[in-house]
Amino acid sequence: MNIYQFHEQLQSEGIIFCFSGPVSQSILEGMGETLKQKMDLEETKLTTSQKIFSIFVEQMQNIINYSADRNTLGDKQSNFGLGILIVGKNSEHSYVLAGNKISKEDEELLKQHLEFIKDMGKDELKSLYKERRKSGNNHLGSKGAGLGFIEMARKATYPLDFQFIDIDSTHSFFVINVKI
Amino acid sequence: MEHLIIEASKSTPAIHFDPEQHLLSIKGQSYPENSSKFYTPVFAWLKEYLALPYLKNIIIDIEMSYFNSSSSKILMNIFEMLDESAEDGKSVVINWLYQEDDDTSLECGEEFKEDISTNVIFNLVEIPATRFK
Repeated sequence: MNIYQFHEQLQSEGIIFCFSGPVSQSILEGMGETLKQKMDLEETKLTTSQKIFSIFVEQMQNIINYSADRNTLGDKQSNFGLGILIVGKNSEHSYVLAGNKISKEDEELLKQHLEFIKDMGKDELKSLYKERRKSGNNHLGSKGAGLGFIEMARKATYPLDFQFIDIDSTHSFFVINVKI
Repeated sequence: MEHLIIEASKSTPAIHFDPEQHLLSIKGQSYPENSSKFYTPVFAWLKEYLALPYLKNIIIDIEMSYFNSSSSKILMNIFEMLDESAEDGKSVVINWLYQEDDDTSLECGEEFKEDISTNVIFNLVEIPATRFK
């Protein structure tokens, strides 16, 4: 497949963004602004574009903070995580899909957390979110207080769709697809 | 006591805290790379302000068009601090400003309000939409 065919294939599948590589806060901010402008131009309903933007930010920041594949430029200011992120739309729904490498230890914790929330209804998710948000209720020692996935599940129209693809004895590739 | 002025960036809100006029405002979007680090001076300032012996009335305006999950936790911590001051007998008013077409922001305000004691006056204030249409 040549690059033009690749481009055409992405277009025909309704993919708005397809990013693969090192993600930093400044890439997140730039892509986020463009994503918002594009949704405004297409007159996406405000609540829908807010949901997509919110899921996009949580996923990009997860890649920055938790990807096991890291790039450092010897400079502590530059925090990069390697990963892939796709924003797209098909006939049924919009989606934000993210993937990054994680260690087997992180996989265990993450799997437990996601299995715990995946079948929860909106009211249950709301109570869990509010409970974890209160001070002194930090979870998993995570920087974001473990709220990010609950937030995504609350914004999603469909249950969280995730998988862990085995890479080797120490790492897996984590993929999460959030459909709105 | 010093003013605290932090200009807005793409991922951080404008913060204007004026201890003389008693005007406290946080306005914009919040999704910094490191929320704890960004809000450290805000907590330090508030701690000093809330301890002022002559302070009786506290009013803060919050207008957030978007905040990520870690900023949500930070906002809750700020409200918990204010809640403690209210419990100590100070009058605390939180004005949650949301643009008229922004149901998401209204809902976020309602969810904070539900989690704060009734010692605090938490107003949900509708303002005209300035968003480009």
